[in-house]
This record gives sequence, structure tokens and C-alpha cells, in this order.
Amino acid sequence: MLIEIENLSVTYHVGGRDVRAVEDVSLTVAARESYGLVGESGSGKSTILRAICGLAPISAGSIRIDGAPVQTPRGKAFAKRVQMVFQDPYGSLHPRHTIDRTLAEPLAIHGIGNTDARVVQALDDVGLPPSFRFRYPHQLSGGQRQRVAIARALMLEPEILLLDEPTSALDASVQAETLNLLNRLRAERGLTFMMVSHDLAVIDHMCDRVLVMQHGRAVEELLHEDLARAGMKTDYARTLFEASADRMLNG
Amino acid sequence: MTLLSVKNLRVTFDTESGPVQAVRGVSFSLGRERLGIVGESGSGKTMTGRSVLRLIRPPGRIDAEEMVFDGIDLTRASERQMRALRGQRMAMVMQDPKYSLNPVMKVGAQLTEGLRLRHRVGRTEARAKAIAALEAVQIRDPDRVLESYPHELSGGMGQRVMIAMMLIPNPDLLIADEPTSALDVTVQAEVLSILDALVRDRGMGLIFISHDLRLVARFCDRVLVMYKGRVVEELEARNLMQAQHPYTQGLLNCLPRIGGDRSPLPGLDRHAAWAE
Ligand SMILES: Nc1ncnc2c1ncn2[C@@H]1O[C@H](COP(=O)(O)OP(=O)(O)OP(=O)(O)O)[C@@H](O)[C@H]1O
Ligand SMILES: Nc1ncnc2c1ncn2[C@@H]1O[C@H](COP(=O)(O)OP(=O)(O)OP(=O)(O)O)[C@@H](O)[C@H]1O
Ligand SMILES: [Mg+2]
Ligand SMILES: [Mg+2]
Repeated sequence: MLIEIENLSVTYHVGGRDVRAVEDVSLTVAARESYGLVGESGSGKSTILRAICGLAPISAGSIRIDGAPVQTPRGKAFAKRVQMVFQDPYGSLHPRHTIDRTLAEPLAIHGIGNTDARVVQALDDVGLPPSFRFRYPHQLSGGQRQRVAIARALMLEPEILLLDEPTSALDASVQAETLNLLNRLRAERGLTFMMVSHDLAVIDHMCDRVLVMQHGRAVEELLHEDLARAGMKTDYARTLFEASADRMLNG
Repeated sequence: MTLLSVKNLRVTFDTESGPVQAVRGVSFSLGRERLGIVGESGSGKTMTGRSVLRLIRPPGRIDAEEMVFDGIDLTRASERQMRALRGQRMAMVMQDPKYSLNPVMKVGAQLTEGLRLRHRVGRTEARAKAIAALEAVQIRDPDRVLESYPHELSGGMGQRVMIAMMLIPNPDLLIADEPTSALDVTVQAEVLSILDALVRDRGMGLIFISHDLRLVARFCDRVLVMYKGRVVEELEARNLMQAQHPYTQGLLNCLPRIGGDRSPLPGLDRHAAWAE
């Protein structure tokens, strides 16, 4: 298994209180697999991805990549291998850096050349014109910013992509292009995905397995085949499924 | 009854590489109803919404033949009048909620600020109102959330805090820009039913900007479809799935479906003529 998460708990401290964001969650993701996370808002989905990247306070449990426990701090080799697209593209793009600088920076840090061509190619991959290179984040629409965030994660050609709601800010056509791009890259480069989405149709289209979460805990893991067949066993997973009736094939 | 009418709205940004026309002649009217705005990324939905509140920052410019809210000419209102309207009679739920909240101020202080300053409500009562507003949007532990800073909330919690904040003053017009994009389907249903009740029972006017065509089709009354700064089609929301314009049809075709065959999703062939 490429990613192994065992009994992970994450606890934040806010105003003298403990916030148990993730409680005792275990999951594994095979190389080249696409693994989905769905569930209640605030249930800890983003926190799991952030914990993998060393951005959340792990209070118990372990995370291994390719059999080796992740190092703290994660370091350059980790960044080359694992990249994350954050849920909130505004917060993850530096407001005073041009798009060009945002995309070129990871290349510079890792000593990768041919910057110009790579930046233009990355913009093209996510459907943005080369003229956007010299804009700032506030000069883009919400969906355009999200595409820049995806382009940046792809700059280092990582092996594992952690995608937090990568298309919820995108319209249907750009979502389709982005999902097609992600699937093509996964097939061509043998990428592994962990992906959060609230849209069960997106999860069904993209993922081999999916974990349903509620209130910090794993409720149920489903195989892709079981999703469309309504083969869930818990009430909560079924509720999510039934509330998605408008996106079924014969709905 | 018309609450808001907009005629020939234009938004232009003067950039180093020449003017960018984000909105090019948009007209619509809104009653006490749910008006959806859909359309591709960059088509001008957010700028249309922000124009109504006159929240376009320079170098952006707003031009309109008419922009009237409940008898008030918004094109001529003073900046002072606009400030009094904003957050009181007209409110907007921003697309990037965490960015729109004040990052260095606790959520509780942000939620109660308006009540305490403008309505002279006491500390205890303001706090009780804030807790009620958070509970209404299905926040599990409102006490903790009041004591949190925006970066300590999940994406969907930030979105719900923003919605709660905009609803506390009981606005007559709410512009909601992708208000539920970070919510799971069950919490989303609760939030929509609150908005729905405000339109039905209190006669609020709602502009609902969203990428989720299926959601707009079941939730809204009417829909504007935007493409490159223009409205290309206006229709009853319940007819959205049978839209006539090839652009709208194209958008619908791109959607994945549960139980679909997982082959690459169809793209959209854009035609220059749609932008005219
Ligand atoms: N930096 C932080 N400090 C304190 N609490 C936090 C922090 N980040 C997240 N939390 C809390 O952890 C819990 C889980 O948050 P998380 O962002 O993982 O949820 P999520 O499942 O991604 O939700 P959404 O679907 O709304 O994005 C929430 O209660 C949130 O308030
Ligand atoms: N400050 C600016 N300078 C130049 N162009 C801008 C500026 N702000 C916005 N734009 C452009 O205006 C157009 C309309 O933007 P708007 O934010 O209204 O799009 P939108 O329909 O809300 O898209 P999304 O669905 O992606 O949020 C976009 O093409 C955007 O790049
Ligand atoms: Mg999240
Ligand atoms: Mg927008």
C-alpha cells in the first residue's frame, strides 16, 4: 500500500477546549488508486489531507508512505512526491505574487529548469490563456484561481495528489476538463489520488473506493461498484446517497 | 412586485493590457423570488452581484442605464447611503467566505458587531442571537465556533458562518455567491430551506449564483444563463434541464452522473456567436 493511515487522531486546542477533528481513522490507498473522502461538513476530511502534509496536530496514530513513516518536518523530497490542492484557493495563493511567480517558485526551489515553457504548459493544461501569467490572484474569478492552484500542484509532477474539493468552484465545462485532465494524468503517469468532494457524481466518476465520514469518524468505506448500486450499510451513508438523487444516471 | 431592476449593466477593468469587459450589458429584474445565475467560470456572475452593492474596486468601473432597489437609484446613491444599505437591507454572501471574514477577529465578535453597534443590542442578547443563527445553519458546537478565528473553521463551516452573518440583519435582498458549494448534501438542504423560508414568508429577494445546475433547477424560480459577460438565456428554473440554448445544453452535457460509464466527460465547443 502506498499510503497507510493507522488510527489517526487530530486534536486542535481552541480557547482552552479540545476540538477532536479526526478520531481514530484508519485507511489505506494503493499505488495508482483513486480514493475518495465524503461526508458531513466539518467532519475532518480536509484535516486528514492536511495531516498527511504535516499541517495538522496529530495526537495519535501513524502515517506511512511507501512503508516509511513520514518525517517531520516533511521536507523537499516529500513535496516532490506529494502535492495538495487546498479547498480554499484564495488562501493558498500568495496575494502579491503574480500567477507566473506562483507557478515558477516550486521549480526554482527544486532546481528544475525550462521554467517559461513549463509555466505556459501548466496554464494550458488547466485551460487558462498564457496572458494570465502576469495577473494577480484578485484579478481572477473564483474558478480561475482554483485552476491556478491545480496547475501549481502539478508543476513538480508529483506521484501522489491530495485534492480537496478540486472542482467545487468550477463550472460544469471546466470541471469536466479538469476531471478529464486528472484522469489522463493518473493513467499516463501512474498517479495516486486522495480526493474530497461533496458531489457524489464526481466521486463516482473519479474514485475506486470512498470513505464516508461524520463528526471526525469514519462511518463506512464503499467500493465504487457499491455506490451506484446503493450498497451502503449505514444510515448516514444512505442519507447522503438519497439526497443526491438529482445526479443519478437515470434520475 | 419589483424589488431590484438592472438595465444594461457594464463592468470594465482597465488593465495594463487594455480594458477587460467583465459584464457587458446585463439586464434583469428581481421580485420577491429566487433568481439563479449560472454560467461558466469568468462569465461575470460575481461581478454582476457585486455591482448591485457597488462593491467593484478600482480599476473596475460600473456603468448602468438603471439600477434601482426598492425605489432607490443605486447609480446615484452617495457612498454613505450605500454603506447604510449594505449589510442591512442588501447583503451578499461572498464566494470566498474565509477570505471575506476578518482573519484576526473571532467569529463571535464578527457576528455580533452589527447588532451591537447598529441595533444597540446588549452583549448577552447579541450572543444568544448569534448562537441561534449558527444553530439554524446546522453548526454542531456554536459556542466553540464563536470563540474561533476564521482559519480554525472547515470550508463549509466558514460558508455557513458567512450565511448566518448576512441573515442576522434580515435583509430585503440577499445575493448569495456560491453559498453552498462547500456543504454536504444534507447540510446544504437545511441551509436552502432557511433561504427558501425567508423568500416565502418574509418576501426577501434572492439572487443565487451557482455552478450547480441541478441544484439551481430544483431550488430557484428563474435562471439567467451568462456567457462572457452577457445573459444568453433566461428561463424558468424547472425548465433548465430542457434548456434551448446550445451553450446551456453543452454545460448540462458535461456533468458526470452516479452510475455513469466513467469515460472522459464531453467538453464544450464554444461558438464565437454566443458572445454577441
Ligand atoms: N486550525 C484549526 N484550529 C482549530 N480547529 C480546527 C482547525 N482546522 C480545522 N479545525 C476544526 O476541525 C474540524 C474538522 O475540520 P475539517 O476542515 O477537516 O472539516 P471538513 O470535513 O473538511 O469540512 P468541510 O466539508 O466543511 O470542508 C472542524 O470542527 C474545524 O472547526
Ligand atoms: N481586477 C480585475 N482585473 C481584470 N480582470 C478582472 C478583475 N477581476 C475580475 N476580472 C475578470 O472578470 C471576469 C468576470 O469575473 P467574475 O468574478 O464575475 O466571474 P464569475 O462568473 O463569478 O466566475 P467564477 O464562476 O469562476 O467565480 C473574469 O474573466 C475575470 O478574470
Ligand atoms: Mg474541508
Ligand atoms: Mg464568481
